[in-house]
Amino acid sequence: MASQVLAQTATNYLTDKQGILSWLLTTDHKRIGLLYTASITGFFFVGGFFAVLMRLHLLTPRGALFGPETYNKLFTMHGIIMVWFFLIPSIPSTLGNFLIPMMIGAKDLAFPKLNLASWYVFMLGGLVTLVALVRGGVDTGWTFYTPFSTTYSTTYVVGAALGIFIAGFSSIMTGINFIATIHRMRAPGLTWFRLPIFIWSHYATSLILVLATPVLAITLLMVGVERIFQVGIFDPALGGDPVLFQHMFWFYSHPAVYVMILPAMAVVSEIIPVFSRRPMFGYTAVAYSSMAIAVVGFLVWGHHLFVAGESVYSALAFSFLSYLVAIPSAIKVFNWTATMVKGSISWDTPMLYAIGFLGLFTIGGMTGLFLAALGVDVHVTDTYFVVAHFHYIMVGGAVMAYLGGVHYWWPKITGKMYPEGLARLSALIVFLGFNLTFFPQFVLGYLGMPRRYAAYPDEFQFLHVLSTAGASILGVGYVLPLCYLIWAWKYGKDAGPNPWRATGLEWQTSSPPPAHNFDVTPIVTGPAYDFEGMKEELNLG
Amino acid sequence: MAEPVISTRSYVFTYLALLALTLITTLLGYLPLGPFSMVVAIAIAAVQACLIAGFFMQGLYEAALVRVVAAAGVVWFLIMATLILTDYITRGWLPFPGK
Amino acid sequence: MADHAASLVREQFRTAEQQRETETLGMWIFLATEVMFFGGLFVAFTVYRMYYPQAFGAGSADMNILLGSINTVVLITSSFTMALAVHSAEVGNRRLLAFLLVATMLLGCVFLGVKLTEYYQHYLDHKMPSVWFEYAGPNASKVQMFFVFYFFMTGLHALHMVVGIGVLLVILARTLARSFSAEYYTPVAMAGLYWSFVDIIWVFLFALFYLQGLHI
Repeated sequence: MASQVLAQTATNYLTDKQGILSWLLTTDHKRIGLLYTASITGFFFVGGFFAVLMRLHLLTPRGALFGPETYNKLFTMHGIIMVWFFLIPSIPSTLGNFLIPMMIGAKDLAFPKLNLASWYVFMLGGLVTLVALVRGGVDTGWTFYTPFSTTYSTTYVVGAALGIFIAGFSSIMTGINFIATIHRMRAPGLTWFRLPIFIWSHYATSLILVLATPVLAITLLMVGVERIFQVGIFDPALGGDPVLFQHMFWFYSHPAVYVMILPAMAVVSEIIPVFSRRPMFGYTAVAYSSMAIAVVGFLVWGHHLFVAGESVYSALAFSFLSYLVAIPSAIKVFNWTATMVKGSISWDTPMLYAIGFLGLFTIGGMTGLFLAALGVDVHVTDTYFVVAHFHYIMVGGAVMAYLGGVHYWWPKITGKMYPEGLARLSALIVFLGFNLTFFPQFVLGYLGMPRRYAAYPDEFQFLHVLSTAGASILGVGYVLPLCYLIWAWKYGKDAGPNPWRATGLEWQTSSPPPAHNFDVTPIVTGPAYDFEGMKEELNLG
Repeated sequence: MAEPVISTRSYVFTYLALLALTLITTLLGYLPLGPFSMVVAIAIAAVQACLIAGFFMQGLYEAALVRVVAAAGVVWFLIMATLILTDYITRGWLPFPGK
Repeated sequence: MADHAASLVREQFRTAEQQRETETLGMWIFLATEVMFFGGLFVAFTVYRMYYPQAFGAGSADMNILLGSINTVVLITSSFTMALAVHSAEVGNRRLLAFLLVATMLLGCVFLGVKLTEYYQHYLDHKMPSVWFEYAGPNASKVQMFFVFYFFMTGLHALHMVVGIGVLLVILARTLARSFSAEYYTPVAMAGLYWSFVDIIWVFLFALFYLQGLHI
């Protein structure tokens, strides 16, 4: 149990310095977290806009709105913006930045100026990418496969690749900061196995960020060099191998999906214990599983190359390893579920999102196992089955967890409560809209509808119409929180330091927190999620 | 700050060892070792890297965590190299085109 | 002196020792990312070398072993002077530190000068892909592939050297401004780590490019 460090200061991190420069030159991890939140929210709606255009276009089999070349640009820009400018930074750079120092009892991250620099680098990368977009976009798919991207595409490949290259350094800086912080800046008494799972998962995420992102950087650099100089690195006519690009690209991009899901798991791991009033079941297993996901996640990328031309022996190895990597995720799902058993469940909005995550992530993860089977993959690769699979994890999983986390920590970040009734309704809308959008896509893919196609046979229209209908509902579900959260910031009820009666050091300080987080460095003497041990303190809060 | 952990003498010895290894690897390059020529050259380079990292970068005297970080970088590079090269080495092992 | 050092402890840290350890850890993690960055090119090179051993051997034979080995010695020496520079910072010898920083930078410039000479020579020999490449023997495109990787990898390395020299200039300026002492010299140590790491990369580049065609 942590000693009481309730701050009595009059100002908090939002009010202590005013003016635009105090935000643009801040080194306070909390303010930087908010800067990132604004940025990624913007990018989310830009990427979402492309999704809307695609779903509208796909209402009719011949594609009413766009020609195939333009359609190629739509799904490419949707993918690039959603992956690199929303999903990868989302939870780590917003909630991670805000909460990690607080959860470990530190005043800030290890390198606050590096943190601010990471936001500027991210914005620069985003700007360069948006310029490429405005100038006409890219049509290679977010995967930039060669030799189309290096030789045949006539769109702004180098511009887009440059923007992503720059943004990658933001990821690396964040990763370095988190690893150094978690190793060296924990409060006295906060040993590794007393850490919240949020910290374990972000630590694992950071390992992936620092080890995988550089490979993306060098791969994009090679694409740029090849495209500009046409010297044959990936060109078969000059002795190059296009599949080498795929190996190097997916060496990063597969671990990248664990960058997108581990922070989501981090959020869910904080929400479920609080709203079940029980400590995390199998804490140690869940902590180790986070690390296992990060490590084994590096060994499976070849499952993206099953039909690309890699050797059968290589494919066998990657298939086997891909089955292995599901195990730690399954361990987590079992332990989250077990945490809820005999718990006292509250159905507040964060918990609704967390439970939704459990179901949708499980579906997404299991369909991943279908894809890991070589024979099945030959049938469904590059179909809507794959599209549905990863959207179940990325949207049904990561985005729902992000929304759950935003709601859960909104009182801490802003000092205000959001409107619970409206929030629950929005969560329900998101859940229904999501499933209506993406479940038909599993069927479409199994029936043979290829991905990235601007037109399709008539018999698929019904499922596409269902999917588009779902997308419009899902859109409403996303716009609602944007509105009521901002409204709540101004007009919501005061939240108090610990509205959820949660354990965790971030709840031991005021809402919003003071600029330096804690007036006195906390000393930790007990495990995480210690609802029993902290019963008295929590009921007073 | 306390006494420096590494003496000037150690630095000099490391430097001389590095020069000697450079000479050795260059001379070995003249031997017709076939594919082992690359293996030998990389192995000697690896020894030189360890000397630089251990002494010039004080890696041997830093916290254990630092050595884990350095090792992790090398191990992850080896993961990437091994699994990619496995594909290229095992291509053509089955009597089907493209496999 | 102690006050000066104490004021340099940033507020997120509890002690100077914690700050030094954390900054050192951060730099080593960054260097691990550089291993993966260069590593991608090493892997790609190895794949193509495995496929085209004769062509890559022919390319290697075209390297200037004298200039290559001179450059290796120059860079190893610069790593030596940099390590000595950190040592002199540890004992608070400002003059020696400044002198050794200058020596390191000069050696770095020598390295870059030799590299440019090599590049120019390759250009004159028509071995610069995309600019002017001619090769009379068989598998010209594969020999060109060797040179693509040569220029890409040594060029990327040279870029890192330029950044390193820039960093050392800043460190030198701060040394002359008396920013460092035996109690606080972390930026010098960090620069030293970076510099030695760039040397390590070169040692592997030397093995990869210069030593595979000597017996031909």
